[in-house]
Amino acid sequence: MDSEQYADQIRLCASCPKLCRHVCPTFSAWRSNAPTPHGRAILLHYEAVGARNLDDRAVEVIYQCLQCSHCLTWCIPEVDIASIVEMTRERLVSEDRYPSGLDRLKQSVDANHNPFGEPHGTRTSWYVTEGGEVTRIVYFTGCTASYREQSIAVATVELLRSIGYQVLVLDDEWCCGSPLLRTGFVPDALVQAEHNVEVLNSIDAEAIVATCPGCYKTLVKDYPEHGLSIRIPVRHISDLLDEKLSALDESDFSEVITYHDPCHLGRHSGVYDAPREVIRKISGVEVSEMKRNRENATCCGNGAGLRTLFPDAAKRIGSSRIQDAKDVGARVLVTSCPFCKNMLKGQADESLDVFDLPEFVLGMTQRLNQKDE
Amino acid sequence: MIGAKRKTIAAERIAGVIGNDFVTIHETDALLTSVDAWPLSLAKIRAGELIPFADIVAYPHNVEEVSQILAICSELEIPVTPVGGGAGSCGGIIPVYGGLHLDLKRMNRIIGIDHDSMVVRVEAGVVGIDLEEHVNRFGYTTGHTPTSLRASNVGGFLATRSGGSMSSLYGKIEDMTLGLQVVIPDGSIIECKAVPRHSVGPDLKQVFIGSEGTLGVITEATLQLFPIPEERRFRSMCFPDITSGLDAIRSIFRAGIRPSVVRLYDETDTAMSIAPHFEVDDESCMLLLAFDGSRERVALDEQQSANICQAHGAQDYGDGPSRRWWEHRYDMYYPSKFLTSGYSIADTIDVVATYDRLERVYWSMKEAMESEGAIVLCHFSHMYLHGGSMYMIFFSSQPDAESLWSTYERIWHAGIEACHKEGGVMSHQHGVGLTRSTYTEDELGSSFHVLKMIKQALDPKGIMNPGKLGMGVQK
Repeated sequence: MDSEQYADQIRLCASCPKLCRHVCPTFSAWRSNAPTPHGRAILLHYEAVGARNLDDRAVEVIYQCLQCSHCLTWCIPEVDIASIVEMTRERLVSEDRYPSGLDRLKQSVDANHNPFGEPHGTRTSWYVTEGGEVTRIVYFTGCTASYREQSIAVATVELLRSIGYQVLVLDDEWCCGSPLLRTGFVPDALVQAEHNVEVLNSIDAEAIVATCPGCYKTLVKDYPEHGLSIRIPVRHISDLLDEKLSALDESDFSEVITYHDPCHLGRHSGVYDAPREVIRKISGVEVSEMKRNRENATCCGNGAGLRTLFPDAAKRIGSSRIQDAKDVGARVLVTSCPFCKNMLKGQADESLDVFDLPEFVLGMTQRLNQKDE
Repeated sequence: MIGAKRKTIAAERIAGVIGNDFVTIHETDALLTSVDAWPLSLAKIRAGELIPFADIVAYPHNVEEVSQILAICSELEIPVTPVGGGAGSCGGIIPVYGGLHLDLKRMNRIIGIDHDSMVVRVEAGVVGIDLEEHVNRFGYTTGHTPTSLRASNVGGFLATRSGGSMSSLYGKIEDMTLGLQVVIPDGSIIECKAVPRHSVGPDLKQVFIGSEGTLGVITEATLQLFPIPEERRFRSMCFPDITSGLDAIRSIFRAGIRPSVVRLYDETDTAMSIAPHFEVDDESCMLLLAFDGSRERVALDEQQSANICQAHGAQDYGDGPSRRWWEHRYDMYYPSKFLTSGYSIADTIDVVATYDRLERVYWSMKEAMESEGAIVLCHFSHMYLHGGSMYMIFFSSQPDAESLWSTYERIWHAGIEACHKEGGVMSHQHGVGLTRSTYTEDELGSSFHVLKMIKQALDPKGIMNPGKLGMGVQK
């Protein structure tokens, strides 16, 4: 986006009578005019025309954005506030004006290659090696599945093995860099990215599969935008499972299932049908759609540093999404993102089970096997 | 502005009621809370001008908190400007004298639907589209579909006497409201019970509906619901001029038909809004109609309306233009590069008159506004048995900011003066705000005195939204 496009976009957004605000999750979380696409655009427009600089509160407002791009779905002039926010954060970081609450995240990724402050040496502690399969595939596990949602990682490997893959999990996989890219720490993110590209390009495999849409988008879109390319095709697990549908058994599940579209997989990567097809095939149940779904799906609240900086607001957004699932009578909520699952599971009660897609597929398969026995 | 000492005291006392997290004195929050959808505000923002903002912003969560806050502000004599969605088009929420912005967005509970009575009880801060989507799940519609639906709140609907695009059938918000809860400036909570009709003196809730925050704060309402219609049908008719179009509309209503949508575009608006999508003759005027109800009923109404239109010289365009308008009705409100470049502004003066005056008001306003250099287009919409409203839309572009602000003021002045000269009323649904505040006394004539006495009785210290409805201008 050049400077003229930037000026046009923020002027257009600042002139709008708030036609997207009703879908902005941070508006819902704070119920204020400030943390909204329109609020951010006005602050940036005032700054751009020299009328008013971004003060500390304005910087905070720029960081009260999930970069979920839901506003873009509703924007006929196609103002891309998520990208504008990301550009602005990069500038704020370069001026050393970012919220200090991000320091720990940045330092942890720099030092440990994950945002959770966990030692890198335990990244693959969940992984049990096993040979015998025929086709090699790299599972880019991502930090959330490695440290916080290990059941997803375990399920993914088991599932991939069950459909004939030899799965490689890399000890020297580092954070993909997404948390740093979204919060403005681009040079630090590129250190992670360059390492990953070098490691991934040294491996002989059919494909790289990611369960985390944040990793997937970063590997597929952000790396090339920064001149980094991975030789091996990168695929999301939903796409791979969709392709292997014939290898999956069909169960006869009777509960109401709904599906939450992760922003990075849906709006940012255009993947909507594959996870739904997998759920339908494996459970025998059509997804009961929530009020807002597919390109109009509400964010879970866990992205772009929001939970790090504003955990209460992030959880309010997650709770609201859980309510959306309950409103359609769902007993099971499936998503296809460890980060979304982590947030949604944390906000759900015992009336709603939350799974990531590989967990759900494996669970259905095991259920079927138990029945057979 | 209210001075540093009073500001600190007020902020601390309000925080004592609602908690520190829900009171702010940050300029960034105050500034953004002041931004509504008034075209002049947005043009000034584009030009880099800061618009007026409050000293303090508070976000109460319930009526008791509103009550305590108003009592504090009364005691300290601090101006209070209530704000809902901030979607108004007249500057009604701009706190011209600073003080407190009372932001009701956190009061967003849909308290419940009474299925027997087919009404919904709702807090003032509920966004219109959230309410509509909620009641849709139970098979109802509010019937209230203003273009601002995605941003405006129930409290804002009520404060401005707003109307939706289907008001010909479902009515305006003042028709839809059965019960009302209001907090008056001394902190008293007033309840107007929800009933369809009554005969216990004047209908006091109507004193507050349309009061634009000058008499108190609307905190809750009980609104009518309607079953989602079994069928909605569209029909479009093109007339040789607005006279024949208005005659046809009048005849449709006299025949006992109540279309949900009635929009007659003058030749300029037809050329700009319809001609890019449908082949229409120059100087023709398109009428868009919609009908809601049972299949049998709407089929009959549609056919009878079509017959009436054709008897008035209309050409039948089928459902196309009308359906297209419905499906794209929000599109024209998105800003475009053309309308936001340089020093440009587009605005609407929505006025209302009885049928005997309507066309004269139109021609008089058009001539007066064009004499100030405006490009003017119009559609007649929100039509009723006895008359209806028209949207006088104007556009102006000037070489610099000062020229634009003065031209804008002259166009408004010319338009309102012409409307009054021909016996029209200066707003149908947008309200008064700042654009029409100075004309309120002219508009209401001798009854303005009554409004001032009501204001004096309810708000003797003049703290509520001063400067609006032609009242409470502070020295």
